[in-house]
Parts: sequence; structure tokens; C-alpha cells
Amino acid sequence: MKLLDERETVEGQEVNPRLERRARRQESWRGFFHAAPAYVYLTFFFVLPLLIIFVFSFASRSNTGKPLLENWNLDSWTRLADPLVRTIAVRSLTMAIANTVLCLLIAYPFAYWIATRARQRTRTLLLIAVLIPFWSNFLVRTYAWRMLLDSDGYITQFGELTGLWGRMLFTQPAVFIGLVYGYLPFMVLPLYAALERMDWSLVEAGRDLYASGSKAFRKITLPLSKPGIIAGSILVFIPSLGAYVTPDILGGARTNLLGNLIVTQFQAARNWPFGSAISGAILIVMLVATMIYFRTGGRTI
Amino acid sequence: MNNRAAAVSLHGVTKRFGEDVVAVDDVDLEIRDGEFFSLLGPSGCGKTTTLRMIAGLEFPTEGSVRIHGEEMGLRSPDKRPVNTVFQSYALFPHMNVADNVAFGLKMKKIDDSEVRRRVGEAIDLVRLTGLDDRSPNALSGGQQQRVALARALVNQPAVLLLDEPLGALDLKLRQTMQLELKDIQNEVGITFVYVTHDQGEALTMSDRIGVMDEGRLAQFGPPEDIYESPQNLFVAGFVGQMCHLSAVVAEPGSVRLKGGELVGARTTTPNGTGVTLTVRPEKLSLYASASEAPQGRNALKGSIARRTFYGESLEYEVQLGASGSIEVRVENIPSIRRWSVGDQVIIDFHPEAAIALTE
Repeated sequence: MKLLDERETVEGQEVNPRLERRARRQESWRGFFHAAPAYVYLTFFFVLPLLIIFVFSFASRSNTGKPLLENWNLDSWTRLADPLVRTIAVRSLTMAIANTVLCLLIAYPFAYWIATRARQRTRTLLLIAVLIPFWSNFLVRTYAWRMLLDSDGYITQFGELTGLWGRMLFTQPAVFIGLVYGYLPFMVLPLYAALERMDWSLVEAGRDLYASGSKAFRKITLPLSKPGIIAGSILVFIPSLGAYVTPDILGGARTNLLGNLIVTQFQAARNWPFGSAISGAILIVMLVATMIYFRTGGRTI
Repeated sequence: MNNRAAAVSLHGVTKRFGEDVVAVDDVDLEIRDGEFFSLLGPSGCGKTTTLRMIAGLEFPTEGSVRIHGEEMGLRSPDKRPVNTVFQSYALFPHMNVADNVAFGLKMKKIDDSEVRRRVGEAIDLVRLTGLDDRSPNALSGGQQQRVALARALVNQPAVLLLDEPLGALDLKLRQTMQLELKDIQNEVGITFVYVTHDQGEALTMSDRIGVMDEGRLAQFGPPEDIYESPQNLFVAGFVGQMCHLSAVVAEPGSVRLKGGELVGARTTTPNGTGVTLTVRPEKLSLYASASEAPQGRNALKGSIARRTFYGESLEYEVQLGASGSIEVRVENIPSIRRWSVGDQVIIDFHPEAAIALTE
């Protein structure tokens, strides 16, 4: 405001600051109205629940496990240092990182292949093929994997026939397979978007300037597709760290991940404060990790 | 050919895309070492495809591409002694100016101090001194153009390929860059192969021009030849302004217009052939009567149908009755007679200026 007032006193100033200010204010109101539904929705269904979780993490419990909003304490947060929690957290983190890396390794060549198809029609069809799994319920698809990985499933039979593997259901590899399967499209799509809008004459320029095919890829294509790599990694890493359905159905009791641990706290253990503390901790870790990832990657995009 | 080896030679080069698209059709071309050569033609005539085949970004379906006598075959672009300035510049957005320019030298594994020296020289050559650390996106179109040029020249290629490099610049900047490009070419002495659809650009810059039409080489020669002696209607119409009158060859050296007038012209086809008489508007003069006009030259009767003022010149459209109409361009010099619409005039021109062409 002060800045505008100063401008008004500038001699010979041709613009009318009052008019300009009004235009700007109108513009910002219009923007607010466009965004208002999203603001309202996110406030009520995203920010408030998160705050509730945060508040509950400091609450205490009655003898029957009912959360009591009194006797505020840090017990749930200190329990996070428990070796059991740590084991599960490390397992979840390893799984999420491995899942992200493997999805990236599988999705990159595939997205590259789609993006380099000459005809738009071919590209669209291939993209639809990537999206087809979303047409059926995730739970149903995970149960389908359960059948494939069970004793009489095709994958198990094939493994036993060749002597390469046995029954994988309810083991860590089964969860891993399920996670890669579930999150691969989330990696393919942003990578495709990044590669598709890439200016391929840059690669030609690189080749023209004596870069071999692989050199041109490393020096030009890869750095320019970085936004896609970052977006895809975040889209895969975050949900797989909190994955619940896949480990629950394919992992059995032995492969507990953070998602399962949280569910157990809210249901069987009836320990809402502790469940809330784990959720809150994951949220904080994720927020910090994402910010670091963006910072380091974002500068060179 | 003279005793200097051809920098680039194409023999029977044809490029097909798919089954029925022929982008380049049986082109033979010899580009001399050290010359400024332009490939001129409308969009889609195959000039860019020809350039890309020299660069190795496309491979000919048939025929051979040689650079300094060496057959290129299926050799990839990184193994050819040529560099390209791309139409869109294709500067690497994730590198600064100096890194863009250094890219080729680094790929060639030239040692750092040498790279730094040559990059510095190249940046000075294109007059971008001090902008080394800038991102290409922070540069103006003209500056980006210079970076692209420096990035290619720094490698001292045997041949520099330029694909409409000035296409994205405004007129003033284009004119400056044309002169500058020519100067740089003189300074570095590298063979330039320049693709353009701008005939003015080709005429002013080139030592020789190849005019392309629908994948074929329509004519090939120094700018003066292309302008003064077009060999076919396409070249006549594409390069410079040209008036067309339909006619029939009456005898060698003269044609008869539709209105019956006999006109002296350069002919190459037998008597009786239907031809188009072409003549450049600036080679025509206007007189009030036949007695005023010089004798022994062509004189056509007509009346002024339209007058257009261009500033440095005036253009009159003259109606010739049954023979059609013709444009006359007159330089706007002091004491020049101004005509008005409806005036009866005699158009005078030298028989050498009129060329009878067939399709």
C-alpha cells in the first residue's frame, strides 16, 4: 500500500495508480473465486483431519483404549523409538526406495519408447494401455496377484517347473511385486509427459556435436527429463511408504509395513494416540524429504 | 570442376518417406570448398531434408553423399566433419552459453585449457563477449542465433550447415546478421551450406545457389545467372518478381503474343511451341509514344490500369489488350515522369531481358 501511495506522488506519472490497483484487486478476487471450492474442500477434508490426528497424538487413553482429550503427553511420540517401530520403518523405507528405483528403471525405457512413436494415435493407444488397470478396482487386482502367487498359481508353477522360485505369497518379494505392479503407471505417466514435450532437435544437436547415442542420452535427454523423474519418484515413493492394501493382502503377517502398523493401532490395538503419532511422523519425514528432493533437483530443471 | 576438391558432393540422392512421399528426387550437387552455397526453395521442396542428409540426421534412400571425397554412407552425425546451425537454434537449455559452445569440443575430448581458449575465441567472434554464464533462455533471438553459430563454428568443421538460421529474426536484425554471417564466413574460410526460402537472402549472401522445387534441383549457379537467366518457370517465378505473358515461338529469337504482337526474346524451343514470356518489371521503361522510345527494341502498346506507390519505386500495371497485362517498376528518381490511370503508353524493353520459358 505504501509503495502505491509513493508512486501516486511521482511527478509526471502518466498511469493512474488507483485504476491499476482496482484492476489488480479485481484480478486477485477472480483468482480467489476460481480456487475457492478447492480451498474449502481441502480445509475441511485435508487440513482439519490432519490437525485432528496431530492433536490426538498427544492424547491419553482410558482403560478400554478410548482416546481421552486430557492428560496431554508425549508418550506416543517417545514410543516411536521402539525397536519394533524402527524395524518396520526401515523395512518400509527400503521397500519404498527399492520400489521407486525399480519402477523408474522399468518405466523410463517404456515411456521413452511411447514418446518416440511417430504417430500420435499409436502414442495415445499405448498410454490408454497403461491406464487400463485403473478401470478395475485396486483391491480386486491385488487379489488377482494373490491367486497368481499362491501354491497353484501360474507364477508359482512356472517357478517350481524351472526350479527358480517357490511359492512367493506372504513373503517380502510378493509385496515387492505387488507394489511395482501397482505404482508403475504413476511413474510412466510423468516420465512420458516430460519426454513427450522434449525438443528432440536438442538430441540431434548433441549428435551433430559429436556425442554418441548414449552420450547424447546422458548429457541431454536424461537431464531434460529430470522434472518427470522427480514427479514420478514422488508419486511412487510417497504412497508406497504408506502402502497398506498390498502388504496386507500379499504380505501376510510376516511382512508388516508402516501402513499395516498404523491400521493395527487404530483397530486391534485401540491405541489412537500412537497411531496418530506414527502418521504424524511419516508426514513430517515425507514433507522434509520432498522439500530436499525438490530443492536439489529443482535448481537444474 | 576446378582443381579444388568438392567440399560436398551428392550423386543421385533420393529420399523417400514411406511409400509415396519423395522428399528429395535424384539430386546431383557439387559444393566447392570454401564457398557460400545456398539451397533455396519454398517450404516442402526438400532443401532441409537435403541438408539433414549431409549432416547424417537422415540417410538417403538412394545415392551417395561425399564430404571432401569421402563416402558418408550410413555414418552417424557424430562421425561426420560437419556441424549444423539448427532452425530453432536447439540450444541446450540446461547449460549456459559457454557450456553450449564447449559441448562439441568436450565430446571430442579436447583438453580443458584448449577448450576454454577456443570457446572464448568463438564467443568473441560472434560478439557475445561477457555473456558466457548466461542461460540461453535469458538471451534475445539474435543472441541465441549467435550462440548456435559459435557452438558449431568452434569445432572448425569442414562444412557448416545452416538451416534457415535467420528465419525467426525480425527484418532489421536479419539484414545485419546476413552481412555478419558473410563476414564470418570470409574470416573462417569454412564452406557454408545455407538453407533458406528467402530469395533475397540467397541472392545477397551466396557464391552459388541451388534452387529446389518438389525435391528436384531446378537450377544451379551463381546468383546473377539464377536471376538473369532462369531456366524454367519455377525459378523465374520464385526468384525475384517476374511478369508472365503467354506466347508462341514464331522463329528463333522472337515470339508472338496472344494479341498478335511480335516480340524479340531469348528462345530455346522450336517454332510453334507454346511458351510463357517472362520479363522483370524493373527492366521495362515507359514512353508516351513510339517515336520517343529507342528504336530497334521491343515496344508494346498499352494503357495504365493501376498505379502503386512503394516509396523508392512506383509500379504500374499496364493493360496490353488481348495479350494480357504486365507490371512495370520505375525507380522513384527526380524528373521521372508520373503516369496516371488511363494514360496510353509504350512499354520498351531489350529483347535480352525477355525470356521465353516452358514448364
